[in-house]
Amino acid sequence: MSKFMAWIDQRLPVSSFFRNHLSKYYAPKNFNFFYYFGGLALFIFILQIVTGIFLTINYKPDAAQAFASVEYIMRDVNYGWLIRYLHSTGASFFFLVIYLHMFRALLYGSFKKPRELLWIFGMLIFVLLIAEAFMGYLLPWGQMSYWGAQVIISLFGAIPFFGESLALWIRGDYVVSDVTLNRFFAFHVIALPLLLFALIYLHLAALHTVGSNNPDGIEIKEMKDSEGIPRDGIPFHPYYTVKDIYGLMVFLTIFMFIVFFLPEFGGYFLEKDNFVPANPLKTPEHIVPLWYLTPFYGILRAIPDKLGGVLAMGLAILVLFILPWIDRCPVKSIRYRSVSYKILLTLFIISFIGLGYTGMQTPTTIITWMGRLFTLIYFGFFIALYYMSPNEKTKEVPERVQMDE
Amino acid sequence: MNKISISVFILIVASSNIHASEKLTLDTVRIDLNNKPSLQRGAQIYINNCLGCHTLQYQRYSRLVTDLGIPKEILQKNLIFTSDRHGQPSKLGSLMINSVNPNASAEAFGIHPPDLSLIARSRGPDWVYTFLNSFYYDQQRPMGVNNYLYPNINMPHVLWWMEGIKEKSTGTDKVSYIVEGNMSDREYKAAITDLVNFLTYVSEPAQLKRYKLGFWVVSFLAFFAFIAFLLKQEYWKDVE
Repeated sequence: MSKFMAWIDQRLPVSSFFRNHLSKYYAPKNFNFFYYFGGLALFIFILQIVTGIFLTINYKPDAAQAFASVEYIMRDVNYGWLIRYLHSTGASFFFLVIYLHMFRALLYGSFKKPRELLWIFGMLIFVLLIAEAFMGYLLPWGQMSYWGAQVIISLFGAIPFFGESLALWIRGDYVVSDVTLNRFFAFHVIALPLLLFALIYLHLAALHTVGSNNPDGIEIKEMKDSEGIPRDGIPFHPYYTVKDIYGLMVFLTIFMFIVFFLPEFGGYFLEKDNFVPANPLKTPEHIVPLWYLTPFYGILRAIPDKLGGVLAMGLAILVLFILPWIDRCPVKSIRYRSVSYKILLTLFIISFIGLGYTGMQTPTTIITWMGRLFTLIYFGFFIALYYMSPNEKTKEVPERVQMDE
Repeated sequence: MNKISISVFILIVASSNIHASEKLTLDTVRIDLNNKPSLQRGAQIYINNCLGCHTLQYQRYSRLVTDLGIPKEILQKNLIFTSDRHGQPSKLGSLMINSVNPNASAEAFGIHPPDLSLIARSRGPDWVYTFLNSFYYDQQRPMGVNNYLYPNINMPHVLWWMEGIKEKSTGTDKVSYIVEGNMSDREYKAAITDLVNFLTYVSEPAQLKRYKLGFWVVSFLAFFAFIAFLLKQEYWKDVE
């Protein structure tokens, strides 16, 4: 075996790769619950690719056949229903996991120097993931697929001068049609997954260059022993491989429970209206995107002006990109930051979830004003953070990490 | 000003009364996909009364054998009334479609009767059950009946021979019939429960398998998670 490995190693750096990135890659020993979600996101990405390949084997990207081909998968393909539910539930869980992963960064300041690029790659992944999910949702060609795409693409039309041409260019037609379905299929199954793959690679490359942050926000590389090993670090393999297997199993238990027992999740993962084939002549009463996009949809609807709404929605995502330069507090972890930051972050989370709620409801006066209030808090968070963070009253950060348990 | 507000008030009260008499809350139907006899009876009712107009274009006859346990011979003899393009009786593996010409049916009913493969999923079983229970006599309508849940629908009350035809509700609990059917109220409700049960199965045949398989998958994963936890504890003993 060792002879064989030596033969391989002379030709391909397998052993050194394993050492550099697993067995001699040191991660802080104090990771908590929130540190499971990066690995889980990677797992779901692979799950989506694999189930996606199986779905494309029987799916037909043709307006006349798409809906029926999905039902064919659900009924006539062996375990096709399972593959489809894994993919649809996987999409929702991808966002759930990514949102928790991003929340972790806000809690422990993981976007701060020296991890700005790591954060920006992550944000790019998030934006691509939104596009990936949006285009994938058109493919079943149900009523919500169709009208959701119709509404979202028409948003581009609000951009002055070239907006209408841009919307036309995206659709390839004057309304969402077979042409749109075909190109969305191309983007969903090959273009965006390839880009995502590349960005995930860069995200991980950046991570392994700077090393992981931790719940105390301490750089473990600044505290090394005589052999140059971080005192608060432990080898990723076997410690975090076994821990992540445990996390993955708990995750899969919950995930599979939903796949098998609640795949529609009360209409949040699979909408009822999407079991009706797309009908360009019949607009559904309520057109709502899936739950993971409703926070941004909530912002869009809170602004009375269409162009303003579109800009605000775009800004809500863009502002996250520059978060490392908005938050100027030198202390990373919330554990040692001021009460004001804790209050601000709590308000921000409430506004994000609140916008998700208002984005889902039929607009009434109360819902609209709630949406406006939450939008104000959402953007207020960044403004307040920019001015407050440089002179925050922080606690003293310890030299060594603290173990939770 | 006062007059306006009073008339608005009356309008609101009046319209709320109208809504009260139209059934807006759905009745709940008990779905039991383990009840094979109920599913079989539902299939029988559907094929005899509904399939003539409403296709089940994603459902195959053969699944009634494998999923519902209807013997092949009985199915071929008593439940397959359609024929293929060569004039032969539809094969077991064929889809449950009919030969209604969309233009002709649109001319007759104003709309081509929709396919019902997914109706129990898009509307929900309670809606279908309530709908089937909401027909009443209405001379104004071309088919002589109207529906509380789906006002001015162009569908005739196909199951009238079972239920009879109800008079429009006057708000009291007592229901009077213009024409008697051959079933009592209870028998009719049981029959449409079977029918809705069948449509719920058709909307997602995988349900029969899904719950049973899910139990084993989730149990295995929960057990494996426990093993993984012990493994993690063992490795992490020496991390202080």
